[in-house]
Amino acid sequence: MHGWPSASWPNVLQRSGRNVNAVLDKESWRYSERAWRALHAQEFSVANPAAALPDSLVARFDWPETRARRIVFINGAPATAHVAPAGIRLGDGEHLHLVFINMPSAQSARWRLELPIAVDAGNAEVIEQHVGIEGADVLGEVASQVRVGSHARLRTTTICELPDSASLYRHERVEIASGGEHASTHALFGGRLQRFDLDVKMAGEQASYVSRGVFAPRGRQHIDVHLDARHAACDTRSDVLWRGVADQRGRGILHGAITVAAGADGADAQLQTKNLLLSPHAEIDAQPVLEIYTDEVKASHGATVGQLDERALFYLRSRGVPLSMARNLLIAGFCREAFGSVDNPELRARLEATLIGRVPQADGGSP
Amino acid sequence: MLKIDNLHVRVGGKEILKGLTLAVNAGEVHAIMGPNGAGKSTLGNVLAGREGYEVTAGNVTYNGTNLLELEPEQRAAAGTFLAFQYPVEIPGVNNTYFLKAALNAQRKYRGEEELDSMQFLKRVREKLRVLHISEDLMNRAVNAGFSGGEKKRNEIFQMALLEPRLAILDETDSGLDIDALKMVADGVNAMRDPQRAFVVITHYQRLLDYIVPDFVHVMVDGRIVESGDKSLALKLEEHGYAWVAERKLAERSSTERA
Repeated sequence: MHGWPSASWPNVLQRSGRNVNAVLDKESWRYSERAWRALHAQEFSVANPAAALPDSLVARFDWPETRARRIVFINGAPATAHVAPAGIRLGDGEHLHLVFINMPSAQSARWRLELPIAVDAGNAEVIEQHVGIEGADVLGEVASQVRVGSHARLRTTTICELPDSASLYRHERVEIASGGEHASTHALFGGRLQRFDLDVKMAGEQASYVSRGVFAPRGRQHIDVHLDARHAACDTRSDVLWRGVADQRGRGILHGAITVAAGADGADAQLQTKNLLLSPHAEIDAQPVLEIYTDEVKASHGATVGQLDERALFYLRSRGVPLSMARNLLIAGFCREAFGSVDNPELRARLEATLIGRVPQADGGSP
Repeated sequence: MLKIDNLHVRVGGKEILKGLTLAVNAGEVHAIMGPNGAGKSTLGNVLAGREGYEVTAGNVTYNGTNLLELEPEQRAAAGTFLAFQYPVEIPGVNNTYFLKAALNAQRKYRGEEELDSMQFLKRVREKLRVLHISEDLMNRAVNAGFSGGEKKRNEIFQMALLEPRLAILDETDSGLDIDALKMVADGVNAMRDPQRAFVVITHYQRLLDYIVPDFVHVMVDGRIVESGDKSLALKLEEHGYAWVAERKLAERSSTERA
């Protein structure tokens, strides 16, 4: 069990300049070490909250349905008067909308935030959004410890639309108690470097974890997702399904590790990742890892990396859909399969809009 | 409307069509029959513009333009339609969205006004009703998880919605039970029109009991070896394709003797 910090906001917002090597001690950084080091070759100052936000940016997160429960951070500093209680404790039926804004400032900015979230009982929902303005030379770190109580249910949706100049290191450690459920959806677009460390422990019997995600690096974007799900009790269930799409020189990594600990009998672990490469210079590394230390388990994993289905492309074109539109339809359709578990219609519509806006645009050339 | 002249096509380095000639006028229904491997599906694919089909000789004109120079989507906009033998499953792409995009892209290409959502749905409902297809179809992803029969119905529905001038049906009858077969035939018959032509590629005579063709062509080894009226299909049913091949051989040797 993790120690549970009870902190007021000033303590929650621990800003620190960490040593560049501090996080690089693991094999897990193999594909992103260079990108991470390059970021640190430059001077960062402590993040400085910037000036007023343009309306076009505000419109991207100012959703009427979440207005009452929203906390906005600008380059790591809270921008709203809204003061949260010690940590963030969500009750039944409550939701929270976290918005992280990356703004250009005089100097490169670096910030770090610790964010404990707990759901003790009932159903709760967290929406996390990362947006910004191009030119924001920001490296943000958000480390959260999430606790899902016994028979509680937490849904999280993370929509990351970083400006290409900004980077994010997101570390999430989740612990799910017996009968608890955690369902997460990630939609990751943009950024210079995005690194997600998702460590999830199904600590109690019948705990369940569902992860859905899409990542779509293009240009020189680098998105590295490191998912580590651990079955530590009997009859636990994990279900991981991700889609990756890389275009131009985009680089994507999805490392999905599932461990079934000794004694965690009756565990059910499913891991599937499918990836599309749209350019000969794009690269995706899909690494499913399954480690099982008990006999009574049901586990499967699969990873594919491929290209757009020529037959599907021809089918759409034969009905009159122009090539570039046909490609976009297929790419969006491919990604959309990962949003199937989002049943909140407003959120789903917003994810859909993000997807349509962010799907790598076809260059009109032959596929 | 469609003129195919001495068409030679290679697929994967192998010659499949070996001098196929066919003329289809508006208002006509042509059936093309033939054994497996005769090149029937190749004909459908090459007309629709599929990649990997290399035309080595001959030409195809459609309403006076060179069809082979057009991209697949341009051919569709010009009024051609291929009902696929194996319709492709496209998970994640909604049928309504896809068909609206397709119809409006065609209309835009032709300089017609695009339909708004209301107009489009009105047209969809009308076609679904005529074909006795449930509206559920429109909420599903394109062919994803459809049974063989549902896929073929979806092809016919798309044809009805897009209202092509020249429809090519590539073994739309294969794998269908008798009810689905009738539904396909009704769909085609409802669309028969002096302005519209059909090329029905089939293996069996059965479909032609319901879609009565004006002409029947027998295709063997990459070309049409015999053409006639609907009675030709019945003869084929009775004697099999071997009968045509034998007759052709006999003809050829008698010509050689003379």
